[in-house]
Amino acid sequence: MEMDCQHCNYKWDYLGDNEYYATCPRCRYKVKIPEDKAGALRQKKLDQVLKGRYPAPQKPVRLLGIAGIVNKAMEDYTYDESMLIQILLRLQRNFGWLPREMLSEVSKQLGVSLSHVYQVVTFYKAFSLAPRGRHLIRVCTGTSCKVRGATTILDNLQRLLGVERGETTPDSRFSLETVNCLGCCALGPMMTVDGEYYGSVKLPNVKNILSKHG
Amino acid sequence: MEKVITLKIDDKEIKAQEGTTILEAAKQAGIKIPTLCHLEGLEPYGACRICSVEIERRGKSRVVAACCYPAEENLKVVTRSPKIDKIRKTIIELAASTAGEDVAGEMRALASEYHANLSRFRTGVPNEPTKCILCGICVRRCTEATWDSAIGFIGRGANRRIVLFPEKAGTCVICNYCQHVCPTGRITSIGPDPPFPHVDEVLSGRK
Amino acid sequence: MATVECISSPEDLEKFRQEIKAKREPSKLSVSVCVSTGCVALGGLGVMQAFKAELDKQGLKDKVELKETGCLGFCEQGPRVTIYPEEICYLRVQPEDVSEIVSKTILEKQVVERLLYKDRASGRTAQKLEDIPFYKYQLRLLLGDNAKIDPKNIDDYIVLGGYDALAKSLFKMTPEQVIEEIKRANLRGRGGGGFPTGSKWETTRGAPGEPKYVVVNCDQGDPGAFMDRSLMEGNPHSVLEGLIIGGYAIGAHEGFVYVREEYPIAVENISVAIKQAEQYGLLGENIMGSGFDFRVKVHRGAGAFVSGESSALMTAIEGKVGEPRPKYVHTAVKGIWDKPSCLNNDKTWATVPLIILRGAEWFKRIGTKGSSGTMIFSLVGKVNNTGLVEVPMGITLRDLIYKIGGGIRAGKKFKAVQTGGPSGGLIPEEYLDLPVDFDELAKVGSMMGSGGMVVMDEDTCMVDTAKYFVDFLLEESCGKCIPCREGLRALSKILNDICEGKGKDEDLKTTEDIAETMRDASLCALGQTAANPVLSSMKYFRDEWEQHIGYKCCSAGACKALTNYYIDPKKCQACLFCLKECPVGAVQGGKNQVHWVDQAKCVKCGTCYEVCNFNAVKKLSAEPIPPPPTKGTKPIRKRK
Repeated sequence: MEMDCQHCNYKWDYLGDNEYYATCPRCRYKVKIPEDKAGALRQKKLDQVLKGRYPAPQKPVRLLGIAGIVNKAMEDYTYDESMLIQILLRLQRNFGWLPREMLSEVSKQLGVSLSHVYQVVTFYKAFSLAPRGRHLIRVCTGTSCKVRGATTILDNLQRLLGVERGETTPDSRFSLETVNCLGCCALGPMMTVDGEYYGSVKLPNVKNILSKHG
Repeated sequence: MEKVITLKIDDKEIKAQEGTTILEAAKQAGIKIPTLCHLEGLEPYGACRICSVEIERRGKSRVVAACCYPAEENLKVVTRSPKIDKIRKTIIELAASTAGEDVAGEMRALASEYHANLSRFRTGVPNEPTKCILCGICVRRCTEATWDSAIGFIGRGANRRIVLFPEKAGTCVICNYCQHVCPTGRITSIGPDPPFPHVDEVLSGRK
Repeated sequence: MATVECISSPEDLEKFRQEIKAKREPSKLSVSVCVSTGCVALGGLGVMQAFKAELDKQGLKDKVELKETGCLGFCEQGPRVTIYPEEICYLRVQPEDVSEIVSKTILEKQVVERLLYKDRASGRTAQKLEDIPFYKYQLRLLLGDNAKIDPKNIDDYIVLGGYDALAKSLFKMTPEQVIEEIKRANLRGRGGGGFPTGSKWETTRGAPGEPKYVVVNCDQGDPGAFMDRSLMEGNPHSVLEGLIIGGYAIGAHEGFVYVREEYPIAVENISVAIKQAEQYGLLGENIMGSGFDFRVKVHRGAGAFVSGESSALMTAIEGKVGEPRPKYVHTAVKGIWDKPSCLNNDKTWATVPLIILRGAEWFKRIGTKGSSGTMIFSLVGKVNNTGLVEVPMGITLRDLIYKIGGGIRAGKKFKAVQTGGPSGGLIPEEYLDLPVDFDELAKVGSMMGSGGMVVMDEDTCMVDTAKYFVDFLLEESCGKCIPCREGLRALSKILNDICEGKGKDEDLKTTEDIAETMRDASLCALGQTAANPVLSSMKYFRDEWEQHIGYKCCSAGACKALTNYYIDPKKCQACLFCLKECPVGAVQGGKNQVHWVDQAKCVKCGTCYEVCNFNAVKKLSAEPIPPPPTKGTKPIRKRK
């Protein structure tokens, strides 16, 4: 665009993309870009951004790594936007956790904005954004289980493993989580380890249950 | 359907088109109902509940949010009453329990109008005041402007926050929409990015 | 399951039913083992394997039918095994007992006495299910067939008369007639709101917009309630049939089933049920040759209690975050993708085929005038018989807790019953004679909700209970609107302070102010009813609150910061139990030496209180702790 330096009256063709000021090549004075020309520059930048988001359709290519895992889940659910939560649940179950690259891939392949994917993933408790331990312990803290002493079991587990709820032990053996009702309210207090249910848990049995799973 | 209906707001007969909300109908008639999370041109959100009004319909009265409730025939609306004032005052005080006493803009104006004590729920709270009431105007405006929004909500309940997505913040230099619309004065800088923490820092700091 | 061509007319269905009946002998021995989540937690899968192995070993595989069936609700006495055709019901079966059952009951037709139900008070045993006092007063319309149906086999459901209601609706009734029948039966939603189902269907049918949707809400997040899990695991076809009838009545061709991901067996069973129904032509295109198409999709929840609210559920089905929306325009008019959508609880859907087959008049005769039919309650907590109870509406709380529940555990005293989950309130002893239905409980400040009933005894602190519910709701709130999010945060801080002994006098007034604002101004029902547990606890147990604030005393001994454990040296028998069980080694003493608690190490877990057989451990609150006994004090032995 045509630029006019007020300081030294030099005219030149500015080819950069800074929309606020341009440096005069002769006197190095920072010339402010007038408002009307700045608008055109902003539009050009926006066009580039939008073009990057909607690239030209490519030949289907076999994707590897994380992109491949995500693509497989997408195909099973036929790229349906409304099945976002189901796709993420499938990825969480198969992969164990949801790394950042996976979330970017989901956003790209499904066509939903990245902020939306992050909002969904951090809203629901089933998703884990950090790697979990080898064995997942879930303690039920529903009303019935609490009335029957689930808090004591939870405190004991926290003491035994040395972690708070929602954390993983430093040696990655166990992850401790709480659940709001597992659906076995008549058998309180309840806990599951790796999907195996243990009902009517008493304090002395906790150590046995943990040792059964390594 | 462009049916015109009649309703009563504060004992004033008002005509409005069917399908508009009480807030819009009141605005057309010149009656001001305070809002914090509402912005012209955006879909009504219903998060701040400051616009709560008392309506009477078929003999039963209840409190609803004016920004979302559709105007109906023969609706009676009361926008100021001791009950409504108390609700608005408590809402501002509750919002200030996280946002802090040092708020500017629309929230400060409402706090002085309703004589709210901004420190009522701040005593003994160890957390730093955030100046944010999570009204969501900045996020909604950003989504409207860029589709792939640079800021967004994460978390749920008491852990709900607004974070910045760095790879999407490329258009922030030309935008600044969020700064113009914040009702508490939280967004102040005109630098390259809005002053929100990066999403990775928040998630790793908390996890 | 037999391979069959599609059932293409009601006559085909009847013919198929007769074919299955002909293949089964009614007098054939059949062993039904419960493999729902509850019994699995107590070892049910091991029992199943043991039966398979034992029947193989004895060469009885062809003579005895082994079935995996659903939940009957008496989960604490699991694993349950029922032997047909004598209907002998064995409880608490372990894999070691299986060989005895096979040799004695199956081969020699004798009953194994020790595995039968034994009444704690009278000592009498009961052989059949109906004779067990827990089941005697129940009217099991929805859960009764669970012991006879293998949820993964559609033939079992068809043999018992399944899909007849669907055939009747599709071929003999118009959609308007179906809606009229449901309206006349006065069926009210079983999800907690109690809204008349017939009117909801009528509104959805009349609302403008296509396509319409029907949704099953199996997202039971109420802690303490598990009837949806039991129904969906045990008899998913009843829900499916009701859903198709509902779709026909409303004019919807697509249905959604929303199940929690914490119920993996329920998710699996409903998915298998849908596949089998499609294979048989009872779902999909041209159902039974009537020309009506219907498809069902299963959505799994992902761990959010608030997503069970109807508008939040619809937002979650759209693939967005499950936040509630303002419901000033009903979801029946603008629901999923702003189209008319009818959402009902799965118990409501399962009741629909019964009403269609047996008539609205029959349904209205059960229950009370305002609420017809049966209701499934989840009776849990400190009662002797915990489990699912399906009774006609109108039964009193006292009957529920004492007749069916068998009274309070360990002979303690009743204090309160909490109904309706986190939206309901506490009901003290003076209201135990209230009949339970939708309207009565709301008058005392609680609500029936989805049927959860948690019984609490004298060892439960009412302030601690209120704190538990507020903390639960704070974690599960979506956080969109200010009154709920900030109000719960402020309430949680106040209650935590009170339970730690830092309560102030003005806390009671502040709590009431916050509760009023939340009730009036919140966006959804979670916020509007969030203050119910706190307000009802303050209303009926105000003395406990004043004790906590004024005297820093917790009379129930549940608030850790206000309780100290002390062993009475006059009662202690030096048995070493509590010494060994203490997780931090705070109990001092030895053999033949009276035990005492080192207060500096004690973490107030309560283990010593639970294991002591001599009632020597006392919980002291706001009292000075006596000094420990001198070393070497001998216990006072009780004379036998």
